[in-house]
Amino acid sequence: MLTAEATRVSPLRRVTRSAATTPGRLTVIAVGLVLLTVVTGLFGALTLQTKQDTLGELVDHREPLTAAAQQIYRSLSDADATAASAFLSGGNEPAVLRTRYEYDIAQAGAALGKASSDVGGDSLAAEQVNTLSQQLPVYTGLVETARANNRQGFPAGAAYLREASGLMRSKILPAAEKLYEIDYDRLKAGQAESRSFPWFSLLLAIGLLGALIATQLFLTRKTNRLINVGLVVASAAVAVALIWSTVALLVSSAQVGDGERNGSDQVDVLVQARINSLKCRADETLTLVARGDGPGYEKEWKELSVTFTGDGDGNLLRQAKSLASSPALSGEVQQALENADAWVAAHRKIRELDDTGQYDVAVAMAIGGAPESAATAFGKLDKNMITALNAGREEFFIQTKRGGQALTGLVPGVAALALLAAAGIALGIRERLREYR
Amino acid sequence: MTRTRRLAVGLAALLLAAGCSATGRPVDLASVASAQRPEPVGVVVNPPTTTGAATQVPECDPAASLRPSGLPAAGAMPGGSTMRKIQDRGRLIAGVDQNTFLFGFRNPTNSTIEGFDIDRVHEIAAAIFGDPNKVQFKVITSAERIPALQKGEVDIVVRTMTATCARWVDINFSAIYYVAGQRVLVDKASQITGVDQLGGQRVCAAKGSTSLNKLRDSPAPPVVVAVDNWSDCLLMLQQGQVAGVSTDDTILAGMIAQDPNVKMVGGRFSQEPYGIGIPKANEDMVRFVNAVLEKSITAGSWAASYEKWLIKAVGQAAPPTLKYRD
Repeated sequence: MLTAEATRVSPLRRVTRSAATTPGRLTVIAVGLVLLTVVTGLFGALTLQTKQDTLGELVDHREPLTAAAQQIYRSLSDADATAASAFLSGGNEPAVLRTRYEYDIAQAGAALGKASSDVGGDSLAAEQVNTLSQQLPVYTGLVETARANNRQGFPAGAAYLREASGLMRSKILPAAEKLYEIDYDRLKAGQAESRSFPWFSLLLAIGLLGALIATQLFLTRKTNRLINVGLVVASAAVAVALIWSTVALLVSSAQVGDGERNGSDQVDVLVQARINSLKCRADETLTLVARGDGPGYEKEWKELSVTFTGDGDGNLLRQAKSLASSPALSGEVQQALENADAWVAAHRKIRELDDTGQYDVAVAMAIGGAPESAATAFGKLDKNMITALNAGREEFFIQTKRGGQALTGLVPGVAALALLAAAGIALGIRERLREYR
Repeated sequence: MTRTRRLAVGLAALLLAAGCSATGRPVDLASVASAQRPEPVGVVVNPPTTTGAATQVPECDPAASLRPSGLPAAGAMPGGSTMRKIQDRGRLIAGVDQNTFLFGFRNPTNSTIEGFDIDRVHEIAAAIFGDPNKVQFKVITSAERIPALQKGEVDIVVRTMTATCARWVDINFSAIYYVAGQRVLVDKASQITGVDQLGGQRVCAAKGSTSLNKLRDSPAPPVVVAVDNWSDCLLMLQQGQVAGVSTDDTILAGMIAQDPNVKMVGGRFSQEPYGIGIPKANEDMVRFVNAVLEKSITAGSWAASYEKWLIKAVGQAAPPTLKYRD
């Protein structure tokens, strides 16, 4: 038993024993370097691939979903205000309002379909989509019942409309707003992820480069030969991969940052302003429907209107203007500011008319098509905001896409360079090993 | 060929094994326990009592108002009077309802507020200005009627308002221009035949109304579902969220006119004399309004208005005799 163990040396012992000799040590070094190269190459390529995927995901999913959530809010809020306007106009509702309501509902339904296709295991987002999908049909049912009653001249129609609007404001719109917030946070997280630098891969590559240089110094000392072609090629390949990916990542990160600053951040500010303006528009019409400020619509108007007009710090449109990256965009936001002021003036006039008993004139001022009416000013404001929003989205798209383009070819490039380095190491050290035979 | 067959057999065996070991249940991706019903804004179940037994209500005859002292010519209200202030303002501000069919409702086909109560408002405006349309309508809920008068936001409230001794403490009433009585409205298929069978059932009434208090004091007290407007009650009945509605038969008649699938059951179990609410301080206005009412009854415009709105739903009725406490 003892003799057998003595003759059969364990493989580990054999390696450690042979590592004491120079050729053995070289073999160990070669194997170690090749392994390190393969691991670094693989890890680097995977990291870069993930980065590219994240960038693609931002453009293809995250931002479109945020836009869809925003669209749901806008469409539903507009549907609510339009239903109230149609009721206010009396008699057979004008075809233009009916068409607008139908379009709003169709658009909300389509956007909801998109939004629900990817809640991504986020239970909070799933909950909002669930609320929206369950309550939207109930809402439209109530509006149609209101319509049927209105056509027969029954005041029960107004009760159904109030119930519908209450459902919209208490359940549906808060869910849509929450969904937008969740989607926007996920977009922000995706942007932060694609801007972050892969420090671990960088350290691995620097370590590999260091090891290659150390090996060459060791070889020069042992063999008195200045250059080992294989190892020089390997070092060069690693250095090229290192510099290429670092530069590409820095460029990409800067582009994504630009897209965030001039694109999605800008869009978010505009979306907040738009949501508030939509709430105010609904308040304005509902105050007239209620013929009094029982439920506090006018109070909400006063609270929210400062977020898109006036000189206060809370004026989001002013914020958006200072964020604007191009003169065209800042001009559009400036127009939005002017139209918002015109709307506020019209609103003041409406309240004044209503409070002094000129209800019919107030209604005409609120929903009529006259150039100085609130409906006209609000329509213009909304159009400005859509244009600015779309410009912001485009900016995001272009910059983020450019960020992705900066990484073009990097993954196969890094993989090929890693293979080249591994081959260089193997060949270079084999050449030296030959000299020992 | 043989290899593929072997592969197929192997695969089948594997699938069979997997099939045999299957445990658990099919996954349910969207389970909904129950649908959430929409509710009118501001619904409260069994609201706390507001008009309390805490304040001692003096004995009175709620139907007796202040005696009129002649009717000044339209557009020439005596100086210093409440009516003069209204005339100078250029419009009468009236607290009304836009949700109670036949009494005060917004006609959705032409957007105007109409009804039996609204006719009274136009008569008063005509007496002050000579123009029945110099009116600003402020829509208020049942619960807002007394606060609106106390804060001076409205000159008059004509809104199916029952004159009671408790309310006389806070405001003045005109003479009684109509007498209603509380009854119960249910679905046509319902087995309920009267107020005594409502115990434990969900029954709808407007907040701050005398009807709500009567339901609460009923020997078989129901679960009171309080809403802001009477039309919300019809909606809840149509949606099957309440077993019945209980209020003045006139208001219920307005609901039947909107929905032939509901019916009134049981007899009147209360007397609801309607008066026009006027701020406590404005006694001259009370006498003026009473003069307008007297004129309306003698000139036949009360009867014409009754015929226009109520005769079909409620049946023949003579105008009430006006009573005064001087």
